[in-house]
Amino acid sequence: MAAVPVTCVRLTTSMQIVGKTSALKLVPMGRNKSGFPCLRTSRFQISCVAKPETVNKVCEIVKTQLALGADTVVAPDSKFASLGADSLDTVEIVMTLEEEFGISVEEENSQNITTVQEAADLIEKLVEKKNATA
Amino acid sequence: MGASRAQKLSGIQKQVLSLYRGFLRTARSKTPENRVHIESLVSAEFRRNAQSIDRKNFLHIEYLLRRGKKQLDQLKTVDSVRLSSSNVEISDTQKQ
Repeated sequence: MAAVPVTCVRLTTSMQIVGKTSALKLVPMGRNKSGFPCLRTSRFQISCVAKPETVNKVCEIVKTQLALGADTVVAPDSKFASLGADSLDTVEIVMTLEEEFGISVEEENSQNITTVQEAADLIEKLVEKKNATA
Repeated sequence: MGASRAQKLSGIQKQVLSLYRGFLRTARSKTPENRVHIESLVSAEFRRNAQSIDRKNFLHIEYLLRRGKKQLDQLKTVDSVRLSSSNVEISDTQKQ
């Protein structure tokens, strides 16, 4: 399980490099692309893991952090951006989540979190890891 | 190109967010009262600059990044009693 985000990061960076360099390097991109579907499946597998309590707690934290009214619905698949959060807000949300759950989110991971579900999945994974080492 | 998922952040944007995270992390180590104070100051400063500075003004952003890193180092080393000094610095910049 722990190996998943590492490969994910590596793939994205290699994609970025490919995108920025000349067209000559477009050939290996096909290989990289074939790596994406497998990434998606792994993400779906993880998303089944997140418990509803975690998701609800994340929703609550997001709500208070963004000072949203009680009538605003925060669903697991809500994007932070569509709730009116900018990148600074996202950093704040991740920091609050870190504190609430007593975990530490790495820089690369925190930039990949865009929805409540993604946050909840990552939290579950990190909490599990923490409990395993404790 | 996989851009549909998250918004792609440029290197400099990542640096700014990383600095912001650094400030928030450091603020945690201070007393609750000072922490709230630091967080509100830092958050206001970042938001103000995000609004007022053109996103292509790299020279200015890089300068602010360097300055912010120095201020963060100061905040890390000095204890929370001396927070007022970093407070003054921030209010100084507001006059510019």
